[in-house]
Amino acid sequence: MPASTPSLPAIGAPLLTLERVCKSYGDKRAVSEISLEVPRGSIYGILGPNGSGKTTTIRSIMSIILPDSGTIRLAGRPLDPKLRDHIGYLPEERGLYRKMKCLDQLVFLARLKGVPRAEARRRALGWLVRLGLGDYADRKVDNLSKGMQQKIQFAATFISEPDLVILDEVFSGLDPLNIELLRDMIVEQKSRGTTILFSTHMLAEAERICDAICLIEGGEKILDGSLAEVREAFPLRAVRVAWEGEVSPPADLPGVTQQEFQDGSWRFLLEDGADPRALLPRLLAAGPLTLFAANRPTLSEIFLTAVRRRRLEVAA
Amino acid sequence: MNRILTIVAREYLERVRSKSFAIGTVLGPALMSLLLVVPLLTADRGGDDARTVAVIDQTGIVRPALAEVLAENGSKGLTIEPLAVGVGGLDEAVESLKSRINDGSAHSGLVIPADFVQSGRASFYNNSVGAIVLRDERLKPALDRILREERFRRSQVADSLMAFLTGRVELGSIAVTAKGGEEEQDEAVTFGMAMVLIMIIYMMVLMYGAHTLTAVIEEKGSRMVEVLLASVSPGDLMLGKVIGIGLAGLTQFAIWAIAFFTLSQRGVAIGEFSLDVGFLTPVILVSFVMFFLLGFFLYATLYAGIGAMCNSVQDSQQFQFPLMMGLIIPMLLMQAVMRAPNSTLATVLSLVPLFSPVLMFMRVCMETPPLWQIALSWALMGVAIWLSARAAGKLFRLGILMYGQAPTWATLIRALRS
Repeated sequence: MPASTPSLPAIGAPLLTLERVCKSYGDKRAVSEISLEVPRGSIYGILGPNGSGKTTTIRSIMSIILPDSGTIRLAGRPLDPKLRDHIGYLPEERGLYRKMKCLDQLVFLARLKGVPRAEARRRALGWLVRLGLGDYADRKVDNLSKGMQQKIQFAATFISEPDLVILDEVFSGLDPLNIELLRDMIVEQKSRGTTILFSTHMLAEAERICDAICLIEGGEKILDGSLAEVREAFPLRAVRVAWEGEVSPPADLPGVTQQEFQDGSWRFLLEDGADPRALLPRLLAAGPLTLFAANRPTLSEIFLTAVRRRRLEVAA
Repeated sequence: MNRILTIVAREYLERVRSKSFAIGTVLGPALMSLLLVVPLLTADRGGDDARTVAVIDQTGIVRPALAEVLAENGSKGLTIEPLAVGVGGLDEAVESLKSRINDGSAHSGLVIPADFVQSGRASFYNNSVGAIVLRDERLKPALDRILREERFRRSQVADSLMAFLTGRVELGSIAVTAKGGEEEQDEAVTFGMAMVLIMIIYMMVLMYGAHTLTAVIEEKGSRMVEVLLASVSPGDLMLGKVIGIGLAGLTQFAIWAIAFFTLSQRGVAIGEFSLDVGFLTPVILVSFVMFFLLGFFLYATLYAGIGAMCNSVQDSQQFQFPLMMGLIIPMLLMQAVMRAPNSTLATVLSLVPLFSPVLMFMRVCMETPPLWQIALSWALMGVAIWLSARAAGKLFRLGILMYGQAPTWATLIRALRS
């Protein structure tokens, strides 16, 4: 980091805190009273369906939009533009200057984060080589395939070696190879001590790499905490069941809140505290049972349950 | 500060390296000289259009004199054709004149009555609006001269006395220099210089000011704005872009200026244009630079603000209109300001920031106004730039979120109020 950007304290307060952040566009409330804490060195996921307020939350953190109220702190300090140098950002609308050469582009973006020219150049070349784009350093972005452009965008995000990396709708629009690449890059950055915050509506993807999450819906926080804490708060059980031949599951199974058929077996989600074994007699009676396995609910099952409960609370 | 420079450098290099910059640098002067040279070359050739003017001359002296005077004045292509008055009398001759005009065998016709020398009255028959040019520029001056000379002759004034009486004034111009010296001066050249300087300011504002609009819209189109705003504030981003574009414009003008001076040093005549460096007093030079820069920044920031709100150039048209008026109105008022540079009208209008670059600078060139007025116009423009830069920054922040929806005046006003 150059002298102009003060470094962040290495220990202490959570790296990023949001306190009761609100933002409306006209009459429409995009984010209301969102509070969250991103622990240092973690991979943190802001999860929720499209239009739930993820991007607004992230843009507020980046000071791209100004929240109507609430505070945002980075390492305990109120966010001010100078601290932005510590944050790498990849928006959902990922752009590049099409007429600019790849190397120049990376150097330019690194310089904007305060990296000195020579260092920026060195790092940019390093990234290009690493991503297998060494031969494209002097080619214009226009000449690159979409997948290659995405790689350049990843490099641009990490090139300033920020303390916090923020990725909005991180996996959308990526091909499977690049999803894999980005996931590896995120994990690698974490091992270097970088904190990663990303938003996605792909809960399964998030579940694989997140340490902590915040679920939001309709601009409001549904729940947050480490993955372990979230699972503890929702001691749901799921049961996978299969019968020989075509058997439809019996109606009104005790404690089942949700059921779906996928990959040749049925999956039942049980309400809190329900004992999966209580289902067994009815399942056995329904036909020749070939599979019965209890396992953890997925993040999306937890999310749906949480949303449903919340709606019941609001209605009550 | 460093960040702004990084943005300035990128914006500048991308522009200067582009093909369109190279093409514009070469084609710009070519187009300009076409605009200057074509009217010059064609202006004198209007008379080449072959036209026949049928003349019914009842005095018997005017028609031959007319042909002679017209030929002397260089009215090529103009045929004076006598139309005799037959047995049917004048009325019949006029009827045949009219039918010749209508069947196209004559362009127009003159009827010179017998008492022309006494009354000074004649009639011009025509069926086209454009004939007025022929009447006022060719026929009337020629008839005036014929009338005058004939009256002198009838009053038995000697030829030498006639030349003496009709002599014209030759008013030589002498410019008084600041040191009290005298210099011969050619107003046409000085005036030409002033107009060129005004046009340079106008072009800078019109061409490069408007560039910021497309540059900002492109930036939104390439989805780079959001990436950039993660590193710099909207105001810095805009300032960097405007300066970068301005420098690219200055580079182009510098290339032109150097080429122009080099060519004229080597004696290459550029049109009928000669340089009069004496005209460039310190006040005019400083004013030129100031109005050039302030004018550019004012329009550039306004255009950038509009660009921030819009997703396409089409979207931006309705908002560009007031700015276009800011550029067109001074052009309409130029004549009035030129005639009376220190009138109240000229003073007030030239202080309006949008008009100052053209109107105040024109006043400086024509008849230097009190210095406080010049300084005031700079100050007002400075304030206007500051306000428009702030507004543009605000619109920038808001405009990024407006992908996909066309802006309206209402959203614009709401954005500025917030």
